[in-house]
Amino acid sequence: MTVKMEASAGGIPHKTLLIGGLVTAVVCIYLTYLNQILGVGYFAFFGGIAAVAALWWGSDTIKHLCSYGLGTGVPSAGMIAFGTGAIAMIVATKFGIATPIVAVIIAAIIGAIIGYIANEIINMNIPVMIISLTELAIVGALTMLGLASMACGSFLFENMITNGAIVTAVGLSGAENAGILVANIDATGTLIGGCVFAVIFMLGAIALQHPFNACLGPNESQDRTLMLTMECGFLSMIPVAVISYAYLDLVAASVSLVVSLIGFVYTLREYFRLSRRDAYAWLDAKPIREVGGEQ
Amino acid sequence: METIVLGIGITALAGALATVAGAAEDTESDIGSQGDPNSQVQLAPQMGYIHRIFNKAVSGEPPAYGLWCALGAGVAFAFLQILHNPALAIILGSIVAVFVQGVYCVTAYLGRTASLAKFEQPVYIDVVKSLTPVTMAHAFVAIFCTVTMCYLMAEFLHHPFALPLLGLVWGIALGAAGSATGNPFYGKERQYQNQNFGAGVPISASGNIVRYAEAGQRSSLDNGWFTTKFAGPASGICFGLIVFLELWRTVLFEHELGQWGAVIIGFVLIVIFAIIDLWVEKWSRTTYGPYEKAEEASS
Repeated sequence: MTVKMEASAGGIPHKTLLIGGLVTAVVCIYLTYLNQILGVGYFAFFGGIAAVAALWWGSDTIKHLCSYGLGTGVPSAGMIAFGTGAIAMIVATKFGIATPIVAVIIAAIIGAIIGYIANEIINMNIPVMIISLTELAIVGALTMLGLASMACGSFLFENMITNGAIVTAVGLSGAENAGILVANIDATGTLIGGCVFAVIFMLGAIALQHPFNACLGPNESQDRTLMLTMECGFLSMIPVAVISYAYLDLVAASVSLVVSLIGFVYTLREYFRLSRRDAYAWLDAKPIREVGGEQ
Repeated sequence: METIVLGIGITALAGALATVAGAAEDTESDIGSQGDPNSQVQLAPQMGYIHRIFNKAVSGEPPAYGLWCALGAGVAFAFLQILHNPALAIILGSIVAVFVQGVYCVTAYLGRTASLAKFEQPVYIDVVKSLTPVTMAHAFVAIFCTVTMCYLMAEFLHHPFALPLLGLVWGIALGAAGSATGNPFYGKERQYQNQNFGAGVPISASGNIVRYAEAGQRSSLDNGWFTTKFAGPASGICFGLIVFLELWRTVLFEHELGQWGAVIIGFVLIVIFAIIDLWVEKWSRTTYGPYEKAEEASS
């Protein structure tokens, strides 16, 4: 892409977005644990909200990283975020109740290593590379953990490899239990065994890179980009809610679907409003206006 | 023997589905100016050429189609757990995927165009209204065919990958085939019909894409009209051949030479295609030669 990218000045500072996104995402992922405590499924949608919060922060990180002239690097940044995050997230799901925190820590370590390799060994020499890739890895891990817990109602590995019923708080005592479960169940139709995880990976990766990729240009504005991020997040929640009909009960999956649809419709309308505000003109069936190019 | 006959039948059917998918994918991406031709559509207003071309930059075609097909396959896979009806599940999966694709297209056009306000490029909302359904329709054909093909592989050829992962892999392959084979017809040819044939795109012509049609102003539907005839079939043959040959070598030679048969045939195919490519390139270079300037050609 040949367009010169300029990160918009002003707006919400990146640190605020970082703290807000990280805290909201971790808290919302923990709220899905209410499913285990109460033995229900309808708190699963908090996983999706966590993903929206993580993406909200992540798209601003991508903007900072890609304002260093990474043209085609915008979609790649989304992919590397989720590639590194996937490893951290799957490893972390074996840590029981500590899963979200462990996911953040492991993702930060892997992201920092990848950032170091990119900057120092491949010599990309971008000042914010290491910190940005660290942030993006955490975003990737939290988004996937959020969407995965939305699809199967829990962030525990045991639930991601079982089809249907949520393993309740009483029935789990960490990794040993998971080992027994793995040996005894048929995991071919499940979130991890059935590779539904691949869908979550792609949904998150495209949702992360799309907002800045779609809004880049001289008149990019932060509020519009972030609104589009939330729209992408809620849009990603819709298919995950549909998929969750296979793993959760009818009410739980329907609650997720309704929450996603409400969030999606609201953010899409707001995005249209902001686009209309920022556009040079909003024309319907009007001819080309010549401004000096060759006729 | 029966398994091989069934395997060959599935191979042929999958190849046919892939051909349709490839043609639809490329037409969809060309109508939306996705992939590498997007850069010139994006650049045009900055050089003073305001246009009415649909500019949907979701990402490169391979990741985008990776998502659409993985999504179609994933939702179909989930519905298969509940409904046990493959046809219905695949259709529902494709519908969900196309819905997501349509929303991404609309937001990409609005975002890119609104960010070009400095160059006085207006948002032509009728472009979104008239062209998004067209791209969605083509995307539906592409996704449905790819997911059906993946289902055939998973169900009848007993592929070790689950349906969503097959959707992701073949979706990326579909996007790559369409992007590599079909895009030159649009990006190098259709966008630059105002340049001399074979002249390449000089820096001075950057962004000066064709914006007016035979009558009136060119819309992306005109580009679809052009690429359906040339780029679509080329992409279809490309992706169809990839799928057909891939399955053909696996079905026939999987158990030969201690499981290495299919791998060896794969290498042989690569060598054969490399020779064909070399021959085609040599032939076209000797036939058409280097580009000559107009004066020299006329003298």
